[in-house]
Amino acid sequence: MSLGRQQLLIGVILLALGLILPALLPEYFIYLFNLLMMYLILAIGLDIVMGWSGQFAFAHIAFYGIGIYGTALLHMRLGVPFIVGMPLAALLAALIGYLIAVPATKLRTVYLALSTFAFAQCAAWVFRTWESLTKGPDGLRMTPTNLFGFEIVNDSQAMPVIAVILALVIAATLNLLHSKLGRDFFAVRDNENVALASGVDVKATKVWALTISAFYAGVAGGVYTLFQSYINPDNIDVTLLVLILSMVVVGGSGSLAGVSIGVVVLGVLPEVLRAAPKGLLIWQEFVYGLILMLAIIFSPKGIWGLFSRAKGKS
Amino acid sequence: MNMKMKLFKGLLMAFAGVFSVLSSAQTPGVTDKEIVIGLFAPLSGPLVSYGIDPLNAAKMIYEDVNSKGGINGRKIRLVIEDDKCTGNDLLGVAKKLITVDNVFILHGGSCTAAIAAAQEYIQREKVPFVMLNAAGDNAVFPPTRYMFGSFQGTQRVYGSALSEFAIKSLKAKRIAIIVHDDDYGKANLAAAKAVITRLGGEVVAEEKIPPNISDITAPVLNLRASKPDAILSGAYPAPAVLLAQKYGEFGMTNIPLLQSTQGMPTPSVYAKNVGNPDALKNLYHTWSFTDIAKEDVRERMLAMYKKSNPDREPGPFMVTGVPSALAVIDTLQRLGRDLTREKFVDAMEKLNLNSDLMTGPLQFSATRRDALRTVEVVKFDGKTQKVMPDYYTWNGKDGN
Amino acid sequence: MGLFNLILQGIISGVVTGCVYALVALSLVIVYKSTDVVNFAGGELVMIGAYIGLLLLMWLDWPYVFIFLITPVFTYALGLVFSRFALEKINRKKTSSNTVLVSFVIATIALSDMLKGIVRVIPFTEEVRRLPPLFSGPPIFLGDLVIQPQDIVIVVVASIVMLMLWLLFGYTLVGKALRATSQNERAASLIGIPVKSVKSAIWGLSATVAGIAGLLLAPKLLMTPDMGNMVMLAFAAAIIGGFSSLPGCVVGGILLGIVQNMVGIFISPQAIAVTPFFVIMLVLLIRPQGFFDKTLAYKKV
Repeated sequence: MSLGRQQLLIGVILLALGLILPALLPEYFIYLFNLLMMYLILAIGLDIVMGWSGQFAFAHIAFYGIGIYGTALLHMRLGVPFIVGMPLAALLAALIGYLIAVPATKLRTVYLALSTFAFAQCAAWVFRTWESLTKGPDGLRMTPTNLFGFEIVNDSQAMPVIAVILALVIAATLNLLHSKLGRDFFAVRDNENVALASGVDVKATKVWALTISAFYAGVAGGVYTLFQSYINPDNIDVTLLVLILSMVVVGGSGSLAGVSIGVVVLGVLPEVLRAAPKGLLIWQEFVYGLILMLAIIFSPKGIWGLFSRAKGKS
Repeated sequence: MNMKMKLFKGLLMAFAGVFSVLSSAQTPGVTDKEIVIGLFAPLSGPLVSYGIDPLNAAKMIYEDVNSKGGINGRKIRLVIEDDKCTGNDLLGVAKKLITVDNVFILHGGSCTAAIAAAQEYIQREKVPFVMLNAAGDNAVFPPTRYMFGSFQGTQRVYGSALSEFAIKSLKAKRIAIIVHDDDYGKANLAAAKAVITRLGGEVVAEEKIPPNISDITAPVLNLRASKPDAILSGAYPAPAVLLAQKYGEFGMTNIPLLQSTQGMPTPSVYAKNVGNPDALKNLYHTWSFTDIAKEDVRERMLAMYKKSNPDREPGPFMVTGVPSALAVIDTLQRLGRDLTREKFVDAMEKLNLNSDLMTGPLQFSATRRDALRTVEVVKFDGKTQKVMPDYYTWNGKDGN
Repeated sequence: MGLFNLILQGIISGVVTGCVYALVALSLVIVYKSTDVVNFAGGELVMIGAYIGLLLLMWLDWPYVFIFLITPVFTYALGLVFSRFALEKINRKKTSSNTVLVSFVIATIALSDMLKGIVRVIPFTEEVRRLPPLFSGPPIFLGDLVIQPQDIVIVVVASIVMLMLWLLFGYTLVGKALRATSQNERAASLIGIPVKSVKSAIWGLSATVAGIAGLLLAPKLLMTPDMGNMVMLAFAAAIIGGFSSLPGCVVGGILLGIVQNMVGIFISPQAIAVTPFFVIMLVLLIRPQGFFDKTLAYKKV
């Protein structure tokens, strides 16, 4: 199937799900779907910078936060409609990502990880202390998104919109995967010196990877404002980053299918655990850590990696 | 498809249609024999100590009522969930309880910030939300129709009670305040400042510290430098201990230290952690329950808890889960057999419950959504707790 | 209290906490120098050391001296096991040196969640706890300044540990083997050094230091399963030192402790939270190799 056909098929399926499921399932499951779709956008973005180009950039959640506050505040303070606001907020995230990327990509793994992590914490601190803008620790109550005159007030209404956005994101990702830039990402990850020798502008590639992943995170933030009505700086923290990271690792870094599997497995897991006796709930944190540990030891290419190997063998 | 099949399908669809119309007309969570209540609190994660015992306490109250025949011929059935004290999880739990378990009302939440995340949703879905033991400031001011809370008092109540106690009872004039830079801290500080100013005192220091602070030297030095007659603290358990330790280290123990409830959920553990009896010689804290002064009340609560949860030894914070359950039961009893969510809200608004467990009446009104405004002050020297004379009531205005 | 005394007190207190940050930073750098792994579980190893100490104290009621000797053994074993069963396995499957590094770091993140999770399961840990201090004597007063005997103990023990590490790395055969492995793994294995065992021993050593730091920190800092978050301060200290210099860690830690208190006094306690991150970004921007790294700056950064 050609690339274009793939993209169209995915788009149609997602839109269909977005329109049909709300009529069939209780609102709670629609909420879960919306959450998973948002996580998928975040996870793809993280995969681009970490899995595709091998850079350990922890600033992802800061850009997510910029996407959320940016979209919400543009709408609430300046009346900018979502259709313009979200791309703007995502571009702002990408711009800041670019500014961070230029000095940061000079640094090697540990320093890159720490400096981007430090940036994420500084961003969280700004969200918390710039009260006149973000209402700080009180949290920001967001007004419902207005899409061409239609107000989106609940999960069922948000789902088709999120589905369309996800479809666009996936389409763009597929294009990126098959482009020269995408191939450059992988080349830089595998061996920087070889890539340099074969004419790849390593520095620019790395910067692009981080900038693009920041854009994805910003989009995910915009999606948040579609189906959530409240944001508190404490929600944008390391725990979320570790969750997205786990989704990428467990599912399979470097491929859309892998990341999707990871999002579904780790996104559905809490629901499965809900059925467990309440006394066992306290084990959740340990179980998540254990899953990540087992995944990285025994299946570093994730669940999708296992599939591909099996397919390759037969 | 032949005629018979078509007819059968048609009848089936008609049935489904009629059935769905009928069931939507019926109140969710209410059947002839039972009322379904969604009960939730943090049962895992860093704030589990604020949720586990209080949730069990609410559960024990419901079980007690069921054992006595229920409410107007119906028994309470609980669906229990873990909200992890985060906005995302609490909202998810609320959505599940409402749209999948079809509960009548929501009863839960120990963390105000998490509850605030679900507020817009329950407003939209018109589902009554009764907080478990959260202070609730951000979610009850301004009051909204479906959200009821603050059954052990808001941060405004604690801040103003300690301020009033400091000025009137301890004759303090210069008061230093140390709180966290979050929603609790803001509310606590605002109320304290308003009361202090109103009563002719002076706020000589305002230290705002992050909740995860590890070295409290600098803020305490600042407090000391302001030469206060009393120190008010809204700190959480770990920083509260650090504060008391440093205050002891720097020889400030002649200055009364007044701590809001959230910093000392289990006073004996607090004392052990501080480890310095000298630092506790001028320590006071707020409390909303009579179980310190009244031994029989404490015994009764403990016995009920043990009966319902034989495997767990509760801390004193357990009782904070009781008043909200009492309020729900009182409201349901007053309503009788005809239960709808709107009627529940109207009846809850008329709540005026005097329980021998609480330091004041639990009251709501058309414009009020914080239940308790009266608390006591307790002196704790590390071994014994002594309830101070006079209860302290927030006037409903300070800090708003 | 005059401004000068305020500052002096802040400095004294900063030196004490700085020593603990330095210890944790040492544990991070030991492992990084030898295996190139950023140990995001460093803070949790500190936390586990503290809780093991507390549990030993409460269940077995052993005297403090024994606890100080036994706990590091437990954490040593933990580090050893992690290196052998997690890191070695990942190493064997590697496809490229870059991706295996990413996997190592993810493994440490997983370890940190596992350690935190397992401690949280114990109901005892719901409440904030504290290890009783080694020395509970009256505070020492120097004019307006206060020095707790506990603080002196912290500085002394930390200094002893740093001294021992310095002696180990510089003057013992084992230390030479460790240094050889960290400088050039292939060459080390060629001359007969059992590289895998050495790496595991390094992880064990790092965990030991972290465990001791936990025992020192717990009386001062209070114990919750989340106390590992202080690892960021250790990272900041290590970065100031250049992440490859042991003495750099010490200076970095003490400096950071002092700076934190100064920020608290002169700016605001709210700013304290962001100070380590600010320091990390600042140092990496202006002098990525740290202020103490004399050797091969370009290679490591």
